[in-house]
Amino acid sequence: MAEPLLLMKNMKKRFESQVALDGVDFRLERGEIHALIGENGAGKSTLMNILGGIVAPNDGEIFVQGRKVAIASPVASRRLGISFIHQELNLVNDLAIYENMFLGEELRTWSGFLDERAMCARTTEILDQLDVKLDPRELVGKLDASYKQVVEIGRALLRSTQILIMDEPTSSLTEHEITHLFKVMRSVSGNGVAIVFISHKLKEITSICHAYTVMRDGAVVANGNLADPGVDEEYLAGLMVGKDIASIHFYEPREIGEPVLEVEGLSRKREFEQVSFSLGRGEILGVTGLIGDGRTELFECVFGDKPRQAGRIRVHGVERSMASPTKAQAAGLGYAPRNRKENAIVKDFSVRDNITLASLRQFVRWPFIDSAQEQRHSAGHVQALNIKVSDVALPITALSGGNQQKVVLAKWIEAGADILILDNPTQGIDVGAKAEIYRLIQALAKAGKSIIVLTSEIPELRKVCDRVLVMYHGRITGNLTRSEATESRIMMYATGAASAEFNTTA
Amino acid sequence: MNRVGVLDAIKANRKISLVSRFLGGNSVILAFVVIVVLSSLMSPDSFLTKPNIINIFRQVSIIGTIALGMTMIIITGGIDLSVGSALVIVGAATIFVMNHTGNMLLGLATALAMGVFIGFINGTIITRGRVTPFIATLGMMATCRSLGLYLLDGGGISARSSNYSLIANGRLFGVSYPVYYFMALTAIMYIFSRKTRLGRYMYAVGSNERATHLSAINVNRVKTLTYMLGGLMVAFAAIIETSRLNSVSAASSGSNYELDAIAAVIIGGTRMSGGKGSVLGTFFGVLILGILNNMLTLMGVSPFLAGTVKGLIIIISVLVQKND
Repeated sequence: MAEPLLLMKNMKKRFESQVALDGVDFRLERGEIHALIGENGAGKSTLMNILGGIVAPNDGEIFVQGRKVAIASPVASRRLGISFIHQELNLVNDLAIYENMFLGEELRTWSGFLDERAMCARTTEILDQLDVKLDPRELVGKLDASYKQVVEIGRALLRSTQILIMDEPTSSLTEHEITHLFKVMRSVSGNGVAIVFISHKLKEITSICHAYTVMRDGAVVANGNLADPGVDEEYLAGLMVGKDIASIHFYEPREIGEPVLEVEGLSRKREFEQVSFSLGRGEILGVTGLIGDGRTELFECVFGDKPRQAGRIRVHGVERSMASPTKAQAAGLGYAPRNRKENAIVKDFSVRDNITLASLRQFVRWPFIDSAQEQRHSAGHVQALNIKVSDVALPITALSGGNQQKVVLAKWIEAGADILILDNPTQGIDVGAKAEIYRLIQALAKAGKSIIVLTSEIPELRKVCDRVLVMYHGRITGNLTRSEATESRIMMYATGAASAEFNTTA
Repeated sequence: MNRVGVLDAIKANRKISLVSRFLGGNSVILAFVVIVVLSSLMSPDSFLTKPNIINIFRQVSIIGTIALGMTMIIITGGIDLSVGSALVIVGAATIFVMNHTGNMLLGLATALAMGVFIGFINGTIITRGRVTPFIATLGMMATCRSLGLYLLDGGGISARSSNYSLIANGRLFGVSYPVYYFMALTAIMYIFSRKTRLGRYMYAVGSNERATHLSAINVNRVKTLTYMLGGLMVAFAAIIETSRLNSVSAASSGSNYELDAIAAVIIGGTRMSGGKGSVLGTFFGVLILGILNNMLTLMGVSPFLAGTVKGLIIIISVLVQKND
C-alpha cells in the first residue's frame, strides 16, 4: 500500500486539566475529500489546529508523504503545503480578489512596484482552473459567500497546497451556493489535493466525501470509506453522538397550561414577516431553520432589542410594547442570546455579579447594594443548577462554556423570568454539559416556566421540545408536534419545499 | 494536575486576587511606593517635609477631582476631552451669577447645574446621536473654550465678593481646604463605584455593552448619567479653582486639564477600553503625577521637560499594566 499523504499518529493534547486529544490517529490520502465529524468539543478543531501549526501537541508524530515533520507555526504548516480555511473567512472585503489572493506574497516588478498585471493574470489562471468566471479586480466585499470561499480556495491553490482544511465551509451558504462550492471542491480534489471537510451536516458529507473519521471526546471512534456497506447518515449520527447520550431520554411529557406568550403578525423588514405563534405555560417550544431563517432576529425583536414594524405581543393576555429589553424583563421574559461571550457574559465580572446583573434592583438597600444577600442568592443558584465553581466571587471566565451558560440561566431565574428564550443554548459546550442543559430545561419547564429553544441542531429539538416551529426566510412554514418532528419533515419546511397551514394556538 | 492541586491553585489565586483587588487590580500602589522611596532618596531634605507633602496634595486636588469623574467615564468605555474647557465656562458662569446677584449659594448652584448640564449634552450626543465619545467631547471642548473666550472677551472675570475665595483658601490643621475636598470626593466616588447599582452598571457597560443591554439595563441612561457625574466633578473642580484664584481666565484656565486627568486615570491602571479600573487607582495615579512635578521642581529641572517625564510615565505604566 502506498504511503498516505498525511499520517498523524497518537496525537495527544491537554489544555490545563482537560484532555482535548487522547491518542488520535488520522490518515489522509491524495485527492480524497475526507469528512472529519464530531460534536463540538470532540477534538476536531484541536486536531486540525495542530496541523495548521496553531496548537502544539503534547505528544504524537506527524508524517507528510512519509517524512516525519514538526509543525511549529502556521508558516511551517504552509510550507508543507497545508492550507486552513477557517469558518470565519480570512479575507479583506475592501481589497480586490487578486489583492486578497496575493496578500502578504505580492508579486513585484523589477522596480519594486506591485506587478498588478502578473497577479491578475495568475489569479485568472487559477479561477479558470476552478471553472469560475470572476474579474480579478472585483472587490471581495461585493462577492456572495460561496465566491468568497472560492477565493480562499484559490489562495490555497496559489500556494501549491496539497492538503486543504475547510472548517464548516457551508455553514453560511445557501443551497445553491453549496452546490457551487461542491463543484469547485470536486475539481480541486480531482487534481490530487486532499481536502479535510469539517462539517455537522451529514447529508452534505454523504454527498461529497470519500472517506470519514468520526471523533468523540478527544478520540477517534470510527473511520473508513463512505462507500462501505452500512455507512449512512444514521450510522454516522449514532457514532457522533455516542450511544450513551443518544439513548438518554431527557424528554418527559408535561401538562401544558394556558398560553403565556402570544405573538401575532410580527414583521420586521427583510428579517421576518407575519409571524404568529403562541407558547403555553410549561411548554418547551423549539424554533429551527437554516441560515437566513430569521429566528434570531425574530426573538431579538420579541425581547425588545429591535423594534418591530407590525404585529402584537401579548404576555399573560396583556398586550405589551416590548420597546426595550427592560420592558421585556418587566413582562417576565428572559433571554439567553447566542454567542454567549459577545452577548451574554460580562467577562470582567465575577460569577455572582453576572448572576445578579439583571435583577440588581432587588438587592439594593438604598443607597448600597446588599452584598451579603447577593452572595446568598447567587450561591443558591450555583447549588441548584449545579454550576461548577468553588466560589461565586471567582471571575466568570474561569468557568467552562456549559457552566457559563448555566450562569446566564441563573441570571434570568433570579430576575424572575417565567418565559425563557434560549438561542443556541448548547453552543460551544461539550457533550456532558449539553446533557445537563437539556435536563435543566426539562426541570425548568416542569416547574412551570415556558421555554423557547432556538437551535439548528435537529437532534437537540427531539431531546427537549414539545413542539417545533420551522422557519424559512423569515416566515414560519411548519408547526410540528413532537411526534411529527422528524428530521426529513423539518428539512422539508426549512428549505421552503413545504409550507403548512397551521393553527396558532398551542 | 490532581484535584487537590487544582483546589490549592484556586485558593492561591483567590488570595492573589484579593490583594490585587485591594490594589485596584494593578500595580499602581507599588509604583507609588517606589516613586516615594526614590524621591526621598534623591531629595532627602526637601521631599519628605510636611509642607512639601501638603503642597503636593493641594496642587493635585483640582486635576484629581476631575480625574475621579474621568475614571468612571473611561470605565464605561468612553472619554471626556471637554473637562478643561467646561471648567472655564462653569467657573465664568459661577462668578458672573455671584457678581450679579450677590448670592454665593446661587453661584454655587449655577456651577453644579452647568457642569451636570454639559455632561448631559455630552451624554446625549454620544447615546442618542451615536457619536463616538472622542468626537462628541472634542466638539464640546472646542465649543466651551470658544464660548468662554467670547463671553469674557478673551480676558477673564474676577469675583467681587472676597467671601468666595474663602471656600478654597482656608486651612485646617495646616492643610488647605481643597485637599479635604479632594479626599472626601475620592472616598465618596470610591464607595459609589463599588457599592451602588449605577456604579456596578458603569463597569458592566464598559466590559460588555451588548450583554448589559440584553440584561435589561438601559445602557444609554447609564452612559448619560456617567457623563453627568463627570460634569459634576468638573463643577466641583471649577469652584475650587476659581475660588482659589478668585477669578477665571478664558484663555488659560483649565488648559490641558483633560490630558492630565486622563493621564492620571491611565497611570492608575484603568483600562482605556473600559470595564476595569478603580477610583483608588486614579487617586494614586494623581499623586504619582503630582510627585513627579514636585521632584522636577525640587531638582531644578527645566519646567519645559515636565511633559517629557509625564509622557514617559504614561507609556511605561501602560506597558507594565499590559501584563496584569
